[in-house]
Amino acid sequence: MKIKGRVWKYGDDVNTDVIFAGKYTYTVKERADMAQYALEDLDPDFAKNVKPGDVIVAGKNWGCGSSREQAAICLKELELGAIIAKSFARIHYRNCLNEGLPILISAEAQDLVKNGDEIEIDFDLGVIKAGGREVKFPPYPKFVQGLVNDGGLIPHVKKSLGLA
Amino acid sequence: MGKTAIMKIMDRASGGEVKVGDRVWCAIDLSTARDFGGANCTLQFDDITDNKGRVWDPSKIAFTFDLQAPSHSEKVSNNQKIIREFAKRQGIDKVFDINWGIGQHVLLENGYVKPGDVILGTDSHMNLLGAVGAFATGVGNTDIAASWLNGTNWFRVPETMKIEATGEFGCGVYMRDFLTLLVGDLGAGGMDFLAVEFLGDVIERSSLAERITLCSMVTEMSGKIGLIIPNGPALEWLVERAGANGQAVRDRVREITPDPDAPYCEVRKYDVSKLEPMVSCPDAPDNVKTVREASGEAVDQVHIGSCSNGRFEDVATAFEVLKKSGFKVSSSVRAIITPATREVMAKCAKEGFIEKFIEAGVVFTNPTCALCTAEHYGALPSGDVGCSTTNRNFIGKVGKGSHTYLMSPASAMATAVRGVITDPRDILC
Repeated sequence: MKIKGRVWKYGDDVNTDVIFAGKYTYTVKERADMAQYALEDLDPDFAKNVKPGDVIVAGKNWGCGSSREQAAICLKELELGAIIAKSFARIHYRNCLNEGLPILISAEAQDLVKNGDEIEIDFDLGVIKAGGREVKFPPYPKFVQGLVNDGGLIPHVKKSLGLA
Repeated sequence: MGKTAIMKIMDRASGGEVKVGDRVWCAIDLSTARDFGGANCTLQFDDITDNKGRVWDPSKIAFTFDLQAPSHSEKVSNNQKIIREFAKRQGIDKVFDINWGIGQHVLLENGYVKPGDVILGTDSHMNLLGAVGAFATGVGNTDIAASWLNGTNWFRVPETMKIEATGEFGCGVYMRDFLTLLVGDLGAGGMDFLAVEFLGDVIERSSLAERITLCSMVTEMSGKIGLIIPNGPALEWLVERAGANGQAVRDRVREITPDPDAPYCEVRKYDVSKLEPMVSCPDAPDNVKTVREASGEAVDQVHIGSCSNGRFEDVATAFEVLKKSGFKVSSSVRAIITPATREVMAKCAKEGFIEKFIEAGVVFTNPTCALCTAEHYGALPSGDVGCSTTNRNFIGKVGKGSHTYLMSPASAMATAVRGVITDPRDILC
C-alpha cells in the first residue's frame, strides 16, 4: 500500500476533544457528517481543506483524553491517508486500528517535514519520503497486522467465531 | 523473575503465563457502556449480528446513565431509550438509569467490582477502578461490541511503573494535590501504555475516595491502569459490598499482590510532607502550578464533583471550607456541587450539608458527570473562566472559548468563597 498527499503538522498531546468536540457526539450520528468537525478547535482550516491521502504528522501522545471513537471516524471519513506520530495514546490507537485508519509511529518524521510538504508513505517497504529525504519505520507487530489484515477487530472476532 | 500486579491479573484472565509485551486475549468480567456511547455500542452489535445476535453473557454487561442524566434533549432521550430496549431484549438487568450517578462509582457501590477483575467501559476514566485493584479500561464502541460477541478482548501486557508516596499531607493539602503534582511531573504522555502501582504509607492510610481520585487521573498521563492493592478500611468496605462474594475479594487480593522481585520499568518516590495545594492551569492538565502562584485570578464558575472528586469525603471537605467562611459563596461566582452517586447525595442530605450549601448560594445537583461534557449543564460561555475538580481542562472541553483551572475540592470551595483563585490554607489553617 502506498499513500501520497500533503502534510498537516501538529504538536504533542493533541487530545480527542479537539479532534472531535464532545458537544457533537450526541447530535452528529452519521459517519459522513462527522468529517466537517474534525480538529475544529485546533485548526479550523483542516476539515475544509484536507484532501484524500493527506497525512497528519504529529508529536507525542496523539489522541490522548476521551475514548470517543468519533475522533477516529471523522478522520477516516475525510479519507485521511495516515497519521504519523512520535507516539499514540493507547485508547485512540486501538480505535484507529479498529477503524482501519493507517497509523504509524515515527520519531523522525516530525523533523523531516514542514506543514504543507508533499509526503509519500510506502507501507510495504516501511519508508516515508518527504523533501527529498526518507526515513524508515518499523512494521506493525504480527498480532496487530493480523487485525489489520482481517479489516479490524469485529471481522477478526467474527472470523474466530466462524461467523464471518 | 517475579510478576507485577497487572501480569498476575492478565495471567488469570488469559489463562496462561504472560510476559511484558505479549498481546493476549483476556476474559472480560464486566463489559459496560454508558448513555454516552452506549447506543453506538448496541446499534453496532445489532448491525454486526444482523439484529439476531445474543450477547455472550447478560449478567456480565452493565449500562450506566451518567453523562447526560437526566437527558437534556430529545436526541439524548432517544439514545437512552435505545439502550433500555436493547437491555430488555437481551435480558440485561444491570441498567443503572438516570437516578443512579457516575457509572464506575455505582458499580463499586453495588459490589460488582472485585480486585483482579477485567472490566471494559466506554468511559476513558474506567481505570479509576484500579483503586480497588481491578484492571478496567476505557475503549471505543467497537471494542465493546466485539467483547459482547464472545466475552474477550485483546491487550498488550504493559510494563509497570512504581510510584511510592510517603509522608503526611499538611493542612489544606490533599490527594488531589499530589495527583496534580504527578500530572505536572510526568506530563500528558508520561505513563503512555504503562500500568502503575501506587504504594507507600500515604497510599496505605488513604481512604477509598482518595484512591479513586489518584487512579482516575492516570488517564491524564495516558496510563493504562493505576493499581492499588486493597487494604485496611477500603478492603473491608469492598468485602462488605461484595456480599456473598466477600471471601472471593480477599482471595483476589492475595492473588494479585505483586512479587517482591517483580520487574518495574521505573520507580518514582515522593515525600508529600512539603507539598502545597496545586492547580492545573488552562488549557491542559499537565500545565501545573501551585495554587499560590495562580491566586488572585477571577473566576466565573466553580464546580465540585466528577468521577475524580465527587465522593462524600470530597463534598465534606468543601463543606468544611464553606463553614469556616461563614456559609457564603461570592456573589460573582456560580458555584455548583454534583455528588458522584445517589448514595453520596443521600449521605450529604442526612448530614445536613445540602441545606447549608443551598443557603450559601450553591447549586446542588443530582448525581451525574455534569460539565464533563459541554452539552450538559454547567457549560461555560466563551471568555468565562472556570474552576473545577473534574479531570480535564482541554480547550473547548466545557465550552468554546472558555478556560478552566483544575484543583482540589478545598481549593475550589476557597475560590468560590473569595471569587478569585484562593489557597485553601488561607481559610482552613
